[in-house]
Amino acid sequence: MDNLQIGRHISGQFNEDLERVINNVMHMGGLVEKQLTDALAAVDTTDVTLAKEVLSNDYQVNAYEVSIDDECTRIIAKRQPAAGDLRLIMAIVKTITDLERIGDEAEKIARVALENFSSSQQDLLVNLDNLGRLVLEFLQASLDAFTRMDCDAAIKIHQMDDKINREYEALIRQLMTYMMEDPRSIPQIMTVIWSARALERIGDRCQNICEYIIYFVKGKVVRHTTAEDMKKL
Amino acid sequence: MISISPKALATGSEPLIKTPLDLNNLSPEQVALDINKLNLYYGKKQALNNITMSIPKGQVTAFIGPSGCGKSTLLRCINRMNDLVDDCHISGEINLHGNNIYNKHVDVAELRRKVGMVFQRPNPFPKTIYENVVYGLRIMGENNRRRLDEAAEQSLRSAALWNEVKDRLHESALGLSGGQQQRLVIARAIAIQPEVLLLDEPTSALDPISTLVIEELINDLKKQFTVVIVTHNMQQAARVSDQTAFMYMGDLIEYSDTNTLFTTPLKKKTEDYITGRYG
Repeated sequence: MDNLQIGRHISGQFNEDLERVINNVMHMGGLVEKQLTDALAAVDTTDVTLAKEVLSNDYQVNAYEVSIDDECTRIIAKRQPAAGDLRLIMAIVKTITDLERIGDEAEKIARVALENFSSSQQDLLVNLDNLGRLVLEFLQASLDAFTRMDCDAAIKIHQMDDKINREYEALIRQLMTYMMEDPRSIPQIMTVIWSARALERIGDRCQNICEYIIYFVKGKVVRHTTAEDMKKL
Repeated sequence: MISISPKALATGSEPLIKTPLDLNNLSPEQVALDINKLNLYYGKKQALNNITMSIPKGQVTAFIGPSGCGKSTLLRCINRMNDLVDDCHISGEINLHGNNIYNKHVDVAELRRKVGMVFQRPNPFPKTIYENVVYGLRIMGENNRRRLDEAAEQSLRSAALWNEVKDRLHESALGLSGGQQQRLVIARAIAIQPEVLLLDEPTSALDPISTLVIEELINDLKKQFTVVIVTHNMQQAARVSDQTAFMYMGDLIEYSDTNTLFTTPLKKKTEDYITGRYG
């Protein structure tokens, strides 16, 4: 939070506005993290009740996105933020879009728990476990870096996505083998593939969040650049 | 610096942001004013500390900073208005086309013809609108009625005032509104075709709509003149200028293109000032 230096504005009202927005982003992040944790747990334990809970809670994530977006628009209109304040608002607006999409992906994953997998096919879902754990870890680390606006951490954890992508590809190869062995299992395996894909996309969105943190702190756009270029920052 | 090259945009599309001038490496043709190691003292108090900067031609350069930072003083140096202040000493140079305006042999009246100035409060003469605009030309000895008429129309058009006053050119200028008076004063300043136009908080006494009209005018004026503006309104500097210089307690803290200064300033002092934080 030190990086933000929010409390130093001469206008106390502006300080309060910014603090409120940031608190809301934190809450939204916490909620999205819980949604993903619950979705993964629901799949893991075929807990239909928990899965339904995830589905019914998604509206809260959406509501956060709309209200934070609204608040940011109001701040821009009333305060005309510049420099660091402007970059903060831009970073927040983009971050909440990604968080909302992560919420949607969590919802997709939760739906898998509602499908009827026979006990023999249940083993397929175990494959998602490892990828899920990695992605959850990445999300937690990204949100943590966002809370502290920690640029060094963001640069470091940005690389976690490579690991997730490798894991995802390995999983897809494995699932393809299953499909070739037993074509009847294709419908179920497709469901697993969609969830794996959802997890992989969450990784990409966490990576985006890291990029917004770097943009806020350094004022540099690091999207679409190589890992080597990023290390030079 | 890492960034996506403008080439990445589809061919034929215009780049969204123009490449800024490199203010430290301007070619002589690009420079309108070259300020070099300028120090200014009011009595024993130093008001400007070693200011060095180049102001590019045909662009709008804004000076911003808190009250007493020296931005108006620096502006007034550019047409030697500080000569009128007792006890004011200046060292260093301001070069207009390579000639130091503080050279002993410089004719100050001639300098002020080349470097026009508009002040915070509109100050039309208690004469007709027409006589206000042609005043400078008359002083310079121009008496040809046709040429004066032409100059008056052209200046009033450039100052975006012609349509409002063309039917009342011979009425008193004091009957105009504040915003119109300020545009009249700008018309008067540009009638003598200066090279540089100095604007000292030109809109601080105007309402928001008149302010926007003047800002739009400034944008048009830079096609013909080099404009230097001092403003307390940071958003105005952000809107109208190509370059912005941030000054603080007589020092030039940061001078860069406006887009950079208002999104990613390099100095903490600049950041604190433009985001409204305690220094």
